[in-house]
Amino acid sequence: MNKHTMTDSNDHAIEVEGLSKRYGDLVAVNNISFTVQKGEVFAFLGPNGAGKTTTVEIINTVRGPTSGSVRVLGMDVVKQRRDIIPRIGVMPQAFASFDRITVRESVQYYSRLFGRKDIDIDGLIELTNLTDKRDAQFRSLSGGLKQRLGIAIAMVNDPEVIFLDEPTTGLDPRARRAVWDILLGLKNRGKAVFLTTHYMEEAELLADTVAIIFRGAIVATGSPDALIERNANHLDVLLKSVDDRALDTIRRLGFEPIHDANGRVRFQVKDAGEVHTLLGAIIAAGATPSGLDVRKPNLEEVFLSLTGEGLHDTTPAAGCAT
Amino acid sequence: MTPRIVAANLVVRFRMFRREYSAMFFTIAFPVVLVLVFGAIFTRPENMNFDLAVQDLDDSAQSRQLVDALAADGVFRTTPAPPDVDAVRYAQDHKRNLVLIIPRGYGEMHSLRLATGDPTASVAMSYIYDPSSTSVATKLQYLDSFVAAANQRLSGTPPFITMTKRSILDKQYRFIEFFVPGIIAMAVMTSCLSGALNMNAELRQKGILRKLATTPITSSDWLLSNILYQLALAVISTTMILLVSFAVFDVRLRIDGWLLLFIVLEVFAFVGIGMMLTPIAKEAESATAAANAILFPMMFLSGTFFPVEMMPGFLQTVAKVIPLYYINEGLRASMIFIDHMDAARHAAIIAGVAAAVFVIGARVTRWGRES
Repeated sequence: MNKHTMTDSNDHAIEVEGLSKRYGDLVAVNNISFTVQKGEVFAFLGPNGAGKTTTVEIINTVRGPTSGSVRVLGMDVVKQRRDIIPRIGVMPQAFASFDRITVRESVQYYSRLFGRKDIDIDGLIELTNLTDKRDAQFRSLSGGLKQRLGIAIAMVNDPEVIFLDEPTTGLDPRARRAVWDILLGLKNRGKAVFLTTHYMEEAELLADTVAIIFRGAIVATGSPDALIERNANHLDVLLKSVDDRALDTIRRLGFEPIHDANGRVRFQVKDAGEVHTLLGAIIAAGATPSGLDVRKPNLEEVFLSLTGEGLHDTTPAAGCAT
Repeated sequence: MTPRIVAANLVVRFRMFRREYSAMFFTIAFPVVLVLVFGAIFTRPENMNFDLAVQDLDDSAQSRQLVDALAADGVFRTTPAPPDVDAVRYAQDHKRNLVLIIPRGYGEMHSLRLATGDPTASVAMSYIYDPSSTSVATKLQYLDSFVAAANQRLSGTPPFITMTKRSILDKQYRFIEFFVPGIIAMAVMTSCLSGALNMNAELRQKGILRKLATTPITSSDWLLSNILYQLALAVISTTMILLVSFAVFDVRLRIDGWLLLFIVLEVFAFVGIGMMLTPIAKEAESATAAANAILFPMMFLSGTFFPVEMMPGFLQTVAKVIPLYYINEGLRASMIFIDHMDAARHAAIIAGVAAAVFVIGARVTRWGRES
């Protein structure tokens, strides 16, 4: 039994138990607990101001907790800071390096801080697709390139746990995809990755486990599929244009169609069987279901159903983003 | 403290220095420009050429001789004012702050005095001057001594009182020699204080401190890097100042261990003061303002540009609480007066100040980690 528990905790990259952080009267993080397994990508999903950055900074030893215990690779973040630092890699929010220092020099500088002579600097630059920018100064890089450099630097000590705080915030869709490609590559290297984001797409694409944080508290944890299954177990049906006969049929079957802003009709069904029944009834009534679209709900809807708020339209609540 | 980390910091700092021309200008070129400008103004006051307008109403051989003599002294550059205009009017219209008027009958009286020695044969010369002009007083002094010398020559007897002078110093020293140590102290202070303040504010503002907080670098690594970097810059700018003042003005100052010691102490003191202020000056703008608020009073009150003895009594008291004053005095004691006791006394005071501010500075540098 004892042995079993030990093996268990050895598989944990991060263990957070009852963590709280207060700034005066403000509760930024309120009694949260979770674990991150070695080798998994763990996404901390929540709107701005939910307490994501505060939590990351406590786990990566930059900030002290008000109460609760946080262990990284089995070590206490308050007491064993010096032992933790060499084994984690951090990309802080809005990562920046020295303006007039080039990509390669930046990576080299951080590798020297960690005293890792064995690190293949050019390999890291290649991994983050920065080879043709290796001699460009930081100030000349675009937002996406800066973030990629941040990822390269976060890996400069070959860390066992990597923290990425909002790695794609402020990037255009193309730059975001480029960062995602790199993160997918990381995932294949078997590193534990702790990712914070307010993009549900990002969490859904990259994460093995998602924890949804809202106003300093975790409201749900699980794999993206499991979260959707648990909290939004239905299908969304969309029809482009329907005549009244079809609409009547839908209502008669007990569904509640609503018209959306684009003139489409939208309603929820339980499963594929219901879609089948519904289409049969519409056709039987002599109407044509045109522009049919059946969608699985995503994390956005999970978030909405859990918090009653959209992921992007919340005003920063308790806590601060920095 | 890890030498590897300190070395990595220094490499980055020097790369940044090399690539930022404004930093290079303020470290190297600015003090050199100051030396050149002040040197050019003050090195050879005997060569100062003052404009003097002369209205010769007499227009005799004697009066022309007088005008020539005024110009021949090398002090005045005379320009004739037309005899038919009002001298006040002329001074106003032509922006002259001093117009000398040689009255009609000057030549006649001059000849009479020479020939007969008649004491009633005299001339009353007048001048028009602008009291608001700063150079007038000096010009009038020269004019007075010129007139006194002319009167003496005319009396035909050798002067009764003659003077010889002896300096209390082994060697006559010029203003520029007094000035160069002050510029060295000022250049090092400026670089250390604004360097420490701006670097920290910039790193904090950009979020680089947040990244560094997740690496093994410690605040003592950081402090040592800053000190060594500033020390290297101080050696570079001091060398430049000494080379230029030697090459251009032939300034020869004593360069020995005291100079190095004062530079080291100054770097510690002002990097320490910079670190003390970093918690207050968190943004780049406030860092610059904080640096200037300290730099300028120090520069002007500590005897960088002129001897403290020239200032009113209460300001002299103020000067004595400014650390830069002791560096200025110490550098002058060691470089100009070769007074080892005095240099040691000032070095001891600066060492005390440096130790105090450095300890306080090191304690307040919290290095991005927050509670």
